[in-house]
Amino acid sequence: MNIIEAKNIHRKFGSGELITHVLKGIDIQIKDGEFVAIMGKSGAGKSTLMYQLSALDEPTDGEILIDETDIIGMKENERTAFRLNTLGYVFQDYALVPDLSARENVMMPLLMRGITWAEASKTADESLDNVGLKDKYLNLPGMLSGGEQQRVAIARAIAGKPKIIFADEPTANLDSISGKQIIDLLTCLHKDSGQTIVMVTHEPEYAKNCDRIINMEDGLIVDEKNPWINRY
Amino acid sequence: MLSIKIGLFLGFRQIQRSNPWTTILIIFVMMLTFLNLIAVSGILVGLIEGAERAVRENSLGDIIISPLDEEDHILETVSIIRELEAYPEISAYSVRYNGNATLEANYKERRDLSGERDTAAVIINGINPKQEDEMSGLSTLLRDGEYLRDDEEGYILVGAYYLKEYAENFGDIFDTIDAKTGDTVRLSIGDISKEFTIKGIVESKVDEINLATFIPEREFRRLFSRQDRNAEQIVIRTATPEINAEVSKNLKNDGMSDYAKIQTYEEGLPKFLIDIKKTFNVLGTFIGSIGIVVASITIFIIVFINAMSRRRHIGILKGIGIKRSAIEIAYVIQAAFYALLGSFLGAVVTYAILIPYFDKNPIQFPFSDGILSADPEVTFWKFVILFIITLIAGFVPAWMIVRQNTLNSILGRK
Ligand SMILES: Nc1ncnc2c1ncn2[C@@H]1O[C@H](COP(=O)(O)OP(=O)(O)O)[C@@H](O)[C@H]1O
Ligand SMILES: [Mg+2]
Repeated sequence: MNIIEAKNIHRKFGSGELITHVLKGIDIQIKDGEFVAIMGKSGAGKSTLMYQLSALDEPTDGEILIDETDIIGMKENERTAFRLNTLGYVFQDYALVPDLSARENVMMPLLMRGITWAEASKTADESLDNVGLKDKYLNLPGMLSGGEQQRVAIARAIAGKPKIIFADEPTANLDSISGKQIIDLLTCLHKDSGQTIVMVTHEPEYAKNCDRIINMEDGLIVDEKNPWINRY
Repeated sequence: MLSIKIGLFLGFRQIQRSNPWTTILIIFVMMLTFLNLIAVSGILVGLIEGAERAVRENSLGDIIISPLDEEDHILETVSIIRELEAYPEISAYSVRYNGNATLEANYKERRDLSGERDTAAVIINGINPKQEDEMSGLSTLLRDGEYLRDDEEGYILVGAYYLKEYAENFGDIFDTIDAKTGDTVRLSIGDISKEFTIKGIVESKVDEINLATFIPEREFRRLFSRQDRNAEQIVIRTATPEINAEVSKNLKNDGMSDYAKIQTYEEGLPKFLIDIKKTFNVLGTFIGSIGIVVASITIFIIVFINAMSRRRHIGILKGIGIKRSAIEIAYVIQAAFYALLGSFLGAVVTYAILIPYFDKNPIQFPFSDGILSADPEVTFWKFVILFIITLIAGFVPAWMIVRQNTLNSILGRK
């Protein structure tokens, strides 16, 4: 079963003379439980594609079904609710709320779902344990290293057990050791809970644990491969 | 409901983590705004209330008994007085007689009979000196000389505006004589005249006292041949000012209203005073409103900058599914916090410091000892207005920034 079904996605910016055609007709299907890496040179349109698939942006043209829901033409508040209940995000630069402790950051989407304070707090702690931040519940983001902050962001993304997790170059701002830990963490999560993960990266090294690698160039998908096939 | 809870939480944390000096400064601004709103009109109204208070203290008391409309005197004054004595709630009263007379100075020195006589038309009050003093503290209003005594005859107290020396500052508006304490003056009522020695000069912010002369009641009745003892006015001081309405009601129920008109101080207030108070209140509130505009712009800018600098985080919160309303509430809460704390401190300063201070040290105005008047109910409504305006001033910038495109906010675009 496909959890993401996108057909003929176009995304243009601007108008008239200044129009930029960034996505030029993309078809993509992602199966439930798949771990997909999107790769390609800088400027290829990877992030733009991810924003379309994750309901943060609307394509100029095309169709997107996520978990059998048509997300095109949704109202702003419907999108927000949809993102809350179905999707999890890991951004390149952690994107934590600086006024909230690690635990409170993780709790935010849970509370918004209507989960009680106590329950959300418990789930947040478990989630932080999962990413290896057992004694950092009360730390503010400013008191955590980049790698730790990214792990809080992952904890926040997974705490609500969303159907799909989107990660846009989650390791870009990290040194290679922390980057490796983050990738291992995502791989483990995928193995343990069978969550669908869509990750943008330009490190081939980090993509090798994925089920599938999608290569983009200049707004189009140029090839797809299974990293396991050419391993030996 | 959920949005409110999350908004509260986010807003509270934001306040908690914000720079304490900035917070103190903003709260200080809010406090000054609140004070401005209360104090400007409070002092304007206080001018009038100070005057009213002086009249109540030094002249009219808490309850005023005066003749019925169709009568010249209070009927059955003697029995009324007997009744009053039986009221434990009445702490003091004074029976006043009054009439018009001519006061003349320099009549002895004036050798040349064709020269101009130095006279003034005056109001004469016949009082029981001791009773009057207990009731109105007349002896404390002496500008010069001494107070009347019950066992003396031939002495008079003269209000300052009847004397050239004191009334000069006001130009030529008062009818005066040139005399001072210790001088002999002649009082004439029609054909009857009597010599008096000026025993003292009384002066007050209450013009009724400056424009009066006082002699003992016995002499008054003799001069005016008023044997029936029916007086023009009885003023009453109640144990506390607040019970005057109730005491007045009891007096009426006792049947006194058949013989005299009984009014509380408030009922007796002239309408123009009430109108001036209302006008001053509106004027003061208007001036204070300029303060509200300034404060709301301040709040607007603060919240705008605050939200603008957190635009990315706002985008991220929306990105992970937090409702717009929750984020807006977080900023409104901050504005509410500033307004609440500022107004609270403003109220504390007003009621715990300023009002007691001005009560003890009134502002000296020519016609009144100005106090700071801040009716708690009016203050409360001004607070509500300030609060609502602050909420709006916090909401608008938050709304402007929160409604921006989520992805643009996250990416810091545009
Ligand atoms: N809002 C936009 N307006 C104009 N051009 C844009 C906008 N967003 C992205 N682009 C352009 O689209 C191209 C792809 O961007 P992006 O998806 O961020 O690439 P990648 O993530 O693969 O590095 C870039 O050339 C970029 O300049
Ligand atoms: Mg990118």
